[in-house]
Amino acid sequence: MKTMPAPVAQSGLAPVRARRTPRPAALLTICALIAALLAVPLVFLIIESRAAGWSAVAEQIVRPLTGTLLWNTVRLTVVVTVLCAILGTATAWLVERTDLPGRRIFAVLLVIPLAIPDFVVSFGWSSLFVWVQGFRGAVLVMTLAVYPLVYLPVAASLRGADPGQEEVARSLGVGRVRTFVRITLGQARGAILGGCLLVALVLLAEYGAFEMLGYQTFTTEIFTNLQLPTEVPTSCALALVLVAISLLVLAGEARWRGRGRVARSGPLTARVMAPLHLGRGARAVSLTGVCLLIALAVGLPTGASIYWIVEGGVPSVSNSVSVSMLSAAWHTAAYGVSAAALDTLLALPLAVLAIRHSGAVRLFLERSTYLVLAMPGVVIALALTYFTEQYLGSAGYQTAPLLVLCYTIMFFPLALVGVKAAIARAPASFDEVARSLGHSRLAAFSRVTLRLAAPGLAAAFCLVFLEVITELTATLILVPTGVQTLATQFWQYQSSLSYAQAAPFALVMIAVAALPSVVLGRFFNRSAQAQGLDA
Amino acid sequence: MRQLAVSGLHKAFGAHPVLAGLSLEVSAGAFTAILGPSGSGKTTLLRVLAGFERADAGTVAIGERVVDGPAGFVPPERRKIGYVPQEGALFPHLTVASNVGFGLPARERRRPRTAELLDAVGLSGMGGRYPHQLSGGQQQRVALARALAIQPDVVLLDEPFASLDAHLRASVRADVHGICKAAGTTAILVTHDQDEALSMADHIAVLRDGRIVQHAAPQNLYRMPADAALASFVGDANLLDGQLPDAGAPRMVETILGRLPLEPYCSAGAGPGPVTVLLRPEQLELIPGTVGTASEPGTLAGHVVGYEYYGHDAVVRVKPDCTSACPDVIVRTVGGPQLAVGAAVTLRARGPVVAWSR
Repeated sequence: MKTMPAPVAQSGLAPVRARRTPRPAALLTICALIAALLAVPLVFLIIESRAAGWSAVAEQIVRPLTGTLLWNTVRLTVVVTVLCAILGTATAWLVERTDLPGRRIFAVLLVIPLAIPDFVVSFGWSSLFVWVQGFRGAVLVMTLAVYPLVYLPVAASLRGADPGQEEVARSLGVGRVRTFVRITLGQARGAILGGCLLVALVLLAEYGAFEMLGYQTFTTEIFTNLQLPTEVPTSCALALVLVAISLLVLAGEARWRGRGRVARSGPLTARVMAPLHLGRGARAVSLTGVCLLIALAVGLPTGASIYWIVEGGVPSVSNSVSVSMLSAAWHTAAYGVSAAALDTLLALPLAVLAIRHSGAVRLFLERSTYLVLAMPGVVIALALTYFTEQYLGSAGYQTAPLLVLCYTIMFFPLALVGVKAAIARAPASFDEVARSLGHSRLAAFSRVTLRLAAPGLAAAFCLVFLEVITELTATLILVPTGVQTLATQFWQYQSSLSYAQAAPFALVMIAVAALPSVVLGRFFNRSAQAQGLDA
Repeated sequence: MRQLAVSGLHKAFGAHPVLAGLSLEVSAGAFTAILGPSGSGKTTLLRVLAGFERADAGTVAIGERVVDGPAGFVPPERRKIGYVPQEGALFPHLTVASNVGFGLPARERRRPRTAELLDAVGLSGMGGRYPHQLSGGQQQRVALARALAIQPDVVLLDEPFASLDAHLRASVRADVHGICKAAGTTAILVTHDQDEALSMADHIAVLRDGRIVQHAAPQNLYRMPADAALASFVGDANLLDGQLPDAGAPRMVETILGRLPLEPYCSAGAGPGPVTVLLRPEQLELIPGTVGTASEPGTLAGHVVGYEYYGHDAVVRVKPDCTSACPDVIVRTVGGPQLAVGAAVTLRARGPVVAWSR
C-alpha cells in the first residue's frame, strides 16, 4: 500500500473538547470499593501499631530476636528460591525442548506437588526421618513442595516461544550452549522471575511446615505471639517487618523484569520445534533425575501417609476418623465455596477494567490489588483479629464470615489472574457488535462476555477453592470455636503425634487437590498461549 | 435522499486530534468507501458513527435523526446501525443461525427469518454450524447477514476483507457488494486498499489528517484527484513539471512530452505559470527503439531502467534522456515485448491531463 504524504499547509487546530465519551463511572466506583476492601488489613495493621505506640513497636524491631528471624527468613528464602529456579527451569527445558522419554507423563507428574500442601510434605518427611528438621530440613521440604511454581510458567513460556530465534542464533554461528544461555534462557527470563517471586512469597508466608520442622521465621514467630494477648507491639513489629520484606521482594522482581518485551514479526503460527536429541548418557542421567525428583516430591509424602495408616491398622483408623472427617470435609467445602464465589465475583469488575479500559486510574486500581501479595495469611488474620476484638467485641472473632473474608482477601490476586485470562478470551468487539444489534451494555455483557468467559471463571473459582482447602495458617487463627476443617483436624492429630489419624486427612487433601490442579494447569497453559497469539 | 450526514466532526485522544472537522454526506442506498492510509482516522470515524465513541464536537445524523450532537447522544443499541468489524467477530459460542438472529426480538429468532437471511448471503442450510467450522469468506457473509437482520439504516464495514487470502478477497468483495445492493442498504466501507475502494464503491471519500479531502465517483477520483499527493495515493502516478503557456494556447500545458491538452474540468490553467502535471502510466505509449529523431514533437527518448512483469500487463520504468534532471517515468504496457534494462525506447503521451499550479 502506498502512503499519502501530508499536505504542506496544515491549519493550526486547537483540540476541541466540548463533549466526552462517558467514563465507566459505575465500574470505577465498584473497583475502588473492592481495592479499599483489599487494603483493609494493611490499614488495620498500621492503626494497631499506632495504638500500641510506635516507640514500643520500634523497640521490638531492634531486638536481637529480629536479627535472628531476619537471618533465618532471608537465607531460607534465597537458598530455596535459587534451588527452585534451577530445578524448575531444568525440568521445564527437559520436558518441553528435548526428546526425554515419557515427557508427556512427566509434564503432568511434575505439577502434582503443587497440589500437596507444604505441611503435608513436611509431615511425610519429618514423621519418617528424624534428621529432617531445622534449616536443612526446611530447604529440602520447601524445594520439593514449591518448585512447580517455577516449572509451570517456564514450561508455558518455552512452549510458546518462537523457535525461529534459536535457529537464527545457531545459523549466525553461536554454539548450542551459548544459544541456550543467550536465547532460550532470555526468552524464559520473565517466567523464571515470576516463578521465583511466587516461591519467595510462599516461603515468607509459610507456617505449618516450619513449625513441624522446628525452624523459626517471622511467620512462625508472629503465630506464636498471637497466643499471648500481651504481646501486641511485638506482633505488630514482626508483621510490619514481614510486610516490608514482601514488598521488597515484589519491587525487586518488578525491577529485574525490566522493560524487555517480546516482539515478533510475521504471522504467529504456532510452530513446533524439533526436540533436541539427548545423547544416551545425558538421557539416562536426566531420566533418573526427573524420576527421583517425582519420587521425593510426590511419592514420599503420599507413601508416608499410606505407611502410617497401615501401621495404625486400617479398621481402627477408619473408625476413629470417619465422623470427624465428614464434619471437617463439610465445613471445608462450605468455606471454600463461599470464598471462591466471592472472589470470582469481586475479581470480575477489576478484570473488566484491566482488560477493557486504559488510563492512570485503571492502572492505580489494578496495581493496588497487588499489595495483598505482600500480606502473608498470618498478617491478614492478625489484622482481622485485631479489628474484630477492637470494634465488634467478641461478636465477630472466630466466626465463619470473618474466616471467609480472610480467605477472600488472601486469594483475591489468584482469582484476578484467572478472571483476567477469562475476560481476555472475550474481546470487546463482541460486546460492540451486540450493542450495535440493539443490546444494552449489561445485556451485551451477560449474553456475550459472560458466556465466553464462563470456563475461565469456573477455573478461577476452582483455583480459589483448592487454595482454601489446603490453607492452614489463617484457618488455625480464625476458625470458629468447635469447628474443624480438613487442615486444622490434620494439624491437631499430627501435633499430638497421632500420625495414623492425621494421615487420612493428608491423603484426602492430596486427592481433592491433585486432579483438578492438573486440569487447571492445562487450562491456564492453553489460555496463556491463546493470549500470546492474540497479542 | 440523504441517509447519513456528518458535519464538523472533531475527535481527539488526549492531545492527539484524530478527526478534525470532518464533514460527509451519504445518499440512501449508495455504497460509499472511506479510503485512507493507516492512522488517518478511518476506524475512529466508524466508531463515532456506530456510537462506540462520542465525538468531541460536530453532529452525526442518520436520516432525519441526530444521533450525536450538542443536544444529546444516542447509544449504539438505539441507532439501528449494522456493524461488521474486522475479522467478523462472530460470537464463537453461538451457531450461525443464533448469530444471525442475535439482534432480533426473541419471537422472530425462529426459523423462517434467519433462514431467509442465510439464503440471502448464499449460506442456506449452514445455520446449525459453529463459526469455527466456516471459511473466512463464509464468516464475513454471516457477519453481514447478522448486521442486515435488524434492517439497519446504514451498514458499516470495517476493513472486512483485510484478513482474507488474496484469491478469496475478490469473490467475497463481489458477494458483499451484491448482498448490500440487493438489500438496498446504505453501506459504508472503510479501507486502506485503493483497488478495493475503486472496484466496489459508488463513491469514494478520501480521508486525510482527520478530514475528507475529496468525495467523488471512482472514475473522477482517479482521473481528477484534488491534489498531487492524492493522485499518488489512489494509483500509480507520474508527476511532471509543466508550464502553462501565455495566451494563444488555451487549455494546453507544456511538458517534456510536448504540449498536452488539459481536462475540461481542470481548475488550473487560468494563466501562465509553473504547474505539476499528472500522467497515469496507462496514458503513456511505449515504442521500442528510437523513432526518427528524438526531437519529433510529442515524443521523448529514454532507456529502460526497470521492468516488472505481471502477466496481464507489465510496468516499465524509463529514464528520459533529457538535459535537465527529470524523474523516471512509469509506463504500463499491455502485451508489449519484453524489454531488457538499458534498451532504448520512445514515449508518447495521450491527453487530456490534470495539472495543479505550483
